[in-house]
Amino acid sequence: MQVSLSRRWQKIFSGRGAQGWVYLAVFALLALFPLIAGLTIGNPQAASEGAGFFEGLLQRAESGYAKFWQGMLIQMLILSIFAMSYDILLGYTGILSFGHAMFFGTGGYAIAILIGQHFNWPFFQALGAVVVIAVLQSLIFGILSLRVKGVYLTMVTLAFAEMFFILAEAGDFRQYTGADDGLHGFPVPAYLSATEHRTRFYYLALILFVLVFLAARRLINSPTGRVMIATRDNENRAMMIGFNTFWYKLIAFVAAGVFAALAGALSALFNVSVTPATLTTFRTIDALAMTIIGGVGTLIGPILGAGIIQLLGYWLERWFGANWTLIYGIIFMLIVVFLPYGIVGTLRRRSFGWKAGWARWKQLLTGKAAPG
Amino acid sequence: MTGFLRNNRTILLTLVFLLGMIAFTFQGLEPKVGMSILLSGITLAALFFLIASGLSLIFGLMDVLNFAHGVIFVLGAFVGLSTLMNPRLLFNTLPFFLSAAGGVAIARHLGTPLWQRVNTERGRKILWWSLLVLAFALLAFGLRRFPIRTLNAFSITTVGGAVPTALAQEPLGLMIQRVAFLFLAGLPFGLAVAPRELRQENRRAALWKSIAITLGLLVSAFAILLLRDPGEQFILGLSVDWRFLLALTAGTLAGMLAGAGIEIVLIRPFYGNPVTQLVLTLGLMIAGTDLIEAVWGEESHPPMEPPSWFNGACRSDSLIAWFSEHCRSIDVLGRAFPTYRLFIIFVGIAIFIGVGILLKRTRLGMIIRAGVQDSEMVQALGINVRQVFTLVFALGSGLAALGGVIAAPFLGVFSGMGQIFILQAFIAVVIGGMGSYTGAAIGTLILGLARAYGDHFVAAGIDLPFLANTIKGSPAIARASTVLIMAIVLLVRPAGIFGKKE
Amino acid sequence: MNNVLEVHDIQTFIGQYHILEGVSLEVPRGSITVLLGRNGAGKTTTLKSIIGLTPPKTGAVLFNGAEIQGKPTFRITGQGIGYVPEHRAVFRDLTVEENLRIAERKKGDLALRGDFIFNLFPDLKRLIKLPGGHLSGGQQQMLAVARALVPENTLLLIDEPSEGLAPVIIEQMIEAIRQLSAYTTVLLVEQNFIMASQLADRYTIIESGRSVKSGQMADLVKDGDTIRRYLGAT
Repeated sequence: MQVSLSRRWQKIFSGRGAQGWVYLAVFALLALFPLIAGLTIGNPQAASEGAGFFEGLLQRAESGYAKFWQGMLIQMLILSIFAMSYDILLGYTGILSFGHAMFFGTGGYAIAILIGQHFNWPFFQALGAVVVIAVLQSLIFGILSLRVKGVYLTMVTLAFAEMFFILAEAGDFRQYTGADDGLHGFPVPAYLSATEHRTRFYYLALILFVLVFLAARRLINSPTGRVMIATRDNENRAMMIGFNTFWYKLIAFVAAGVFAALAGALSALFNVSVTPATLTTFRTIDALAMTIIGGVGTLIGPILGAGIIQLLGYWLERWFGANWTLIYGIIFMLIVVFLPYGIVGTLRRRSFGWKAGWARWKQLLTGKAAPG
Repeated sequence: MTGFLRNNRTILLTLVFLLGMIAFTFQGLEPKVGMSILLSGITLAALFFLIASGLSLIFGLMDVLNFAHGVIFVLGAFVGLSTLMNPRLLFNTLPFFLSAAGGVAIARHLGTPLWQRVNTERGRKILWWSLLVLAFALLAFGLRRFPIRTLNAFSITTVGGAVPTALAQEPLGLMIQRVAFLFLAGLPFGLAVAPRELRQENRRAALWKSIAITLGLLVSAFAILLLRDPGEQFILGLSVDWRFLLALTAGTLAGMLAGAGIEIVLIRPFYGNPVTQLVLTLGLMIAGTDLIEAVWGEESHPPMEPPSWFNGACRSDSLIAWFSEHCRSIDVLGRAFPTYRLFIIFVGIAIFIGVGILLKRTRLGMIIRAGVQDSEMVQALGINVRQVFTLVFALGSGLAALGGVIAAPFLGVFSGMGQIFILQAFIAVVIGGMGSYTGAAIGTLILGLARAYGDHFVAAGIDLPFLANTIKGSPAIARASTVLIMAIVLLVRPAGIFGKKE
Repeated sequence: MNNVLEVHDIQTFIGQYHILEGVSLEVPRGSITVLLGRNGAGKTTTLKSIIGLTPPKTGAVLFNGAEIQGKPTFRITGQGIGYVPEHRAVFRDLTVEENLRIAERKKGDLALRGDFIFNLFPDLKRLIKLPGGHLSGGQQQMLAVARALVPENTLLLIDEPSEGLAPVIIEQMIEAIRQLSAYTTVLLVEQNFIMASQLADRYTIIESGRSVKSGQMADLVKDGDTIRRYLGAT
């Protein structure tokens, strides 16, 4: 029983071949979420007189808890994009970067500054510029930091990100970055306002999320992705076969950087604010935590992790008040210790099962060695 | 002679470069300004060094990138501050640690037979974690409703004065109850860390030894509890110099204990799995900062009172005059420089030399240096490397905590002070080369000087030949520029100045 | 107890790779036993499994008649096993003297056996103040063997002492190992069959993680078939 169940889970989460329907089902559920939420937790009074059922439903979705939970989901989707981009580095290329917040924050600042009062660029032009900036940024810092390996790379990326944080917080560029206050209330196009058109923003986030997911999957399953994975498993061997692993790591760096910047831009648009906090190491740690909790080296894992962390943060803050990060830190450590491969990884390895766990306990209590 | 030059090429070149840099910057400055910047730079370097040296040793020996190091620094500062301003917290918490240690001491001795009954790797892992959970559950139960924040309200105390009596002392009966629970919590923890096999030594004598240690610890725990009121009055009646010395000792000890605890509980089960260790120290960094805020509050405290030796309301003309006058500042080429900062420099140099001697001249140092290269081989020689790991972790953490206490009269005390320093320490260690002690020293020196000069020049303005305007900026620019130094060093030497090629 | 070391059917995993799938061997007291086999057959892992650096999952290792498998490495070697790893593993930052002194198990070990060691390797006495990293390959190999001689060891595990050395140095090495075998028992891993045949009394052949053949060296030298089959055309 246990075996067959976990096999099924395994099939679902292994992400290869014939599970398209699962993805479709999840996607459909996400796509229908505003309507379902409008029906169940939206404010019935929000529907205007004489509106049709569907129209009324959409109006109800813009109200009360329905609006709130759509907001939660939007943030989860944004974090998922960020975490997936991080996993391209950590899980598929074996690069432990501590500077990923650099891309997230820069994406946010870029869009806020470009559509803001100094530049007044049209929205889509600014969005394009975000991508261009992210590519340039990840190329420059990728080339610089990929020169070194291992812990050095971790520290170098950490330092680069911290440099951006310090500069964003510095008073010298106050007119552009708003220094330690950050930027608030920049003119997001009215048709994208998350306060006015929550459902529309939700669909925007969902579409971007699906696009990034598909792009990441395409990248990972491509020949380039295979070389990345080979680099992760054994860089020397990949080099000996004749691949210039530096380029493949750089490709991973750029892809991850662009996705993270898009997540950052989206987050800035949703909140209509960016603060230096988006550039801190804690942002990177968020991505790391989501990836590790969900499962390193999978695409579903970071998505699950993002959802869990967003919810966990919300509930913990409600229950424990200001010191919730203490509990968060402890839970994080416990998960790392007990689910070393993350949720998806543990399911895939089938190393978790109540029955097996109980057997282990009995064996421990009786002090007998395991049969077989 | 040529042999000496060749062998120490790196260090000589770096020193020449540093001297050149200092000489170059002196050119455009008045000597007194240049000198005081130089001294400020070295002060910063000394503080950085206290953190960076531990980080570097821990990484070199155990391959652990310890993000929790900054928290230890803050812990040291706060424990020091508590000792100096309101020892009530210490008198009411020290018995907990002692009685828990007593429980550990006796259970450690009794745990070995338990471990021998469990034969599988899995079983041992489960037993280890369930004992830990039990220990923490007892700990949490024993410490529930312990009013740590009210005991700790030293912000109200006037410097040197007595704790206001309005602050209620904890009832003795309740405290005894808690101490007993902590003894119980120590038991499963002791079982968990018990040696896995019997040694060949005399079991009976060892048992008596453990019992004696446990009894001693328990007696001292209750003695402290009973003597807490007169003790408090006694400490607060001491001169600030003695209390500062006490603060240094207490802070360092707290740091060492915390470090040893972290190593045993979080790091030791995961050797060979560096990402897990790193993530755990990260989790500890998040939780630890909050824990410190939970105990000591979020408000920042003004700089701690320095010892009277560095606090006379006058200005000495020279070091020799300072020895009799104990002035707050000293005349350096016509400019006042705080003498306490000279003390920081002195401590930094003393620690550098002291740990250097430990590494170079003692057997433990020999084992550490050998272990940095190949800890597996050290173990194959019949040396218990794990014990050395714990020791080095404790030592490094102790240095960081010492740095925290030393920094407290200079910077003030606040829970975020670790984060400012840990990044700079990381950068210094990367510049110097991870795992190299000399590298950590040189790296911090470079960084400290760069920060001091950077601050000065960014504030005074830099004239670049191809720009019309003078570039001026805030200290933040100088702070960010240290990252550039790191990038340049790594472009030239990917493993840092003294790092070994892999 | 005729055998200093007995290994009974050990199986060792490294990560998820099954490296040793059943290795048994014995090392009689006072002998030189050699482990033969192709590259990657598991010879080095066998040595590491004996001293617990890669602990075996099943099977037993008996040292002087007592089981030692599963104990921490420092306990195992502390009972009197000297280990000379491949690629020498001399501590580069320590001087020659420190390299020897770190191996002391009791204070004064080096003073006690120093003369014997420097008789065996006269070069080391001259280099005593030099860092290990400044030594030549041959000198490092000598230092690695000397280091294993400092404490009182009843068994030496020596991994590929001839690897990457000049023929003259190999001759010296053979001579040194022959001399020290008068005092202790030796288990040797060696690719160089000529060196092995000159030194060893007994042999065990390992082939893809299994011990396939053991016996007297004198018999193996005559047995061309076995040599061709397991060791290649030598």
